[in-house]
Amino acid sequence: MKWTAYLRDQCLPIVIWALTAGFIVMMLGTLGVNSSAQGFLVIVLAVAGIACLLYGYFRRAGFYKELRARLESLDQKYLITEMIERPDFLEGKLLYDVMIQVNKSMNDRLASYRRASNDYREYIETWVHEVKTPIASSRLMIENNKNEVTRSLETEISRIEGYVEQALFYTRSNSVEKDYIIKKVNLKEMISSCVKKNARALIESRISVQMQDLEEDVFTDAKWIDFIVGQILSNSIKYRRDQDPQIKIFAEKKENSIRLSICDNGIGIPPQDIRRVFEKGFTGENGRRFTRSTGMGLYLCKKLCEKLGLSISLTSQVGQGTLIEILFPKSKMFLLENDHP
Amino acid sequence: MYRIFIVEDDEPIRMQLKVLLEKYGYQGIVSDDFEHIVDRILEAKPHLVLLDINLPQFDGYHVCREIRKQGEIPIIMVTSRDSEVDELMSMNLGADDFITKPYHTQILLAHIAAILKRAYHREPSRTLEHKGVLLDLSKSTVSYEGKQAELTKNEMRILHLLMENKGAIISRDEIMNDLWQSDEFVDDNTLTVNINRLRKKLEEVGVRQFLITKRGQGYLV
Repeated sequence: MKWTAYLRDQCLPIVIWALTAGFIVMMLGTLGVNSSAQGFLVIVLAVAGIACLLYGYFRRAGFYKELRARLESLDQKYLITEMIERPDFLEGKLLYDVMIQVNKSMNDRLASYRRASNDYREYIETWVHEVKTPIASSRLMIENNKNEVTRSLETEISRIEGYVEQALFYTRSNSVEKDYIIKKVNLKEMISSCVKKNARALIESRISVQMQDLEEDVFTDAKWIDFIVGQILSNSIKYRRDQDPQIKIFAEKKENSIRLSICDNGIGIPPQDIRRVFEKGFTGENGRRFTRSTGMGLYLCKKLCEKLGLSISLTSQVGQGTLIEILFPKSKMFLLENDHP
Repeated sequence: MYRIFIVEDDEPIRMQLKVLLEKYGYQGIVSDDFEHIVDRILEAKPHLVLLDINLPQFDGYHVCREIRKQGEIPIIMVTSRDSEVDELMSMNLGADDFITKPYHTQILLAHIAAILKRAYHREPSRTLEHKGVLLDLSKSTVSYEGKQAELTKNEMRILHLLMENKGAIISRDEIMNDLWQSDEFVDDNTLTVNINRLRKKLEEVGVRQFLITKRGQGYLV
């Protein structure tokens, strides 16, 4: 609260005070009071008036200054009422009481949305878990009756499974709770199981897969990283080149981390799209040309990586291919294990 | 023959699993008496229990605990909840293995074989026969009229797949998928080399016109 702003706000009382003072002095003049007494009276009135202004200013200024400072330091601005005390002047009290009520209603609202979103998440989780039963039985039926038709059915079932999994991880990526378990994961085992899961699609697309130097252990959630790598592989399959498509997967040891690289020689991503590939729902030029893009795959990869504390980056050149790198930081646990064998 | 008890409340899955296991040389036992499922299992004296976690009446954890109280029958837990917590729970309750639905049938069969091998220390000496050609899976050899040839891992898997589906055409993709599932990520060229070598070995033991190429479709024995 600035001085000048306060004075401007108090402009009407000041004018009334000045008029009253002037009127009194004039009255005293006509009543024949001498001028030094008049001067003394003006000074007394002025001192009283200024004292009133100063009192009013400092009373308010302290409260508003604190309010402003606290508000700026707060991340969740609506929590401001928890941070300040009820002031001792009337307007402040009124403001404070109103804020308390607003805050309460806001919290109620938040709680009800949180409940709704949790319910929804629970429903999706149950749904995903339910839908896996018919998928499993369809797979068994296909296995028990192998022929042309069931083979193509299997491809379609795999696609359904992929979408179901995406839905599950989407709800997980949005939840506030931490529902992953960090364990030691062997990169080679993890990558092979992922490649095996996608074997049919990779073979059908005639993609040759090369895996090198994957004998590294990282600390992460196996299921999540499996999903992330699966999404990356499915992109490499979708956007492959026609002649001799390849995927190379390898790991490198860095000073404080392990870098997993998944590199394809596919059609690549136009430079203007690269910046936005991790955005939700972004499909880009490739996504529009190849119909099946949902714009969710890489977005989920990024989001899940952030939750797991991994960094993910993408480089690409049109016609050359795309390289995705995931950086696993070495955890303290890992360092300790190495220091004391 | 190993008896495998299938505890699964979804009927289509239960029946299809039974068919699948029987196709692969196991005896599948099922029951829908979930109230007394523990008794049913113990009565049947199976070599292995495939146990779904979500069951009516009692859940799989309870059943697992009850079976463990009675003895050491190997248990593979099956769940559709994709979380590590379930896995930990199962292992803590004494399950031998854990697999997530919807499983790849080949992976399920591999888990079953591994657990049975570990629990009973005897490899079922399995041999396949077709038109006089004998494939010994435990020794990885092929023999015909007394003559014998050793096969590499890839050659054996290829011949195994073809002989298991005798009379049916198996596509190259199918064979590659089978090899990939055993961590042999071969490409098209390698497969051609493997097939040629396998043919040569068959000829060495005197088998001709056994592995037939169906142009554009695949192979057939």
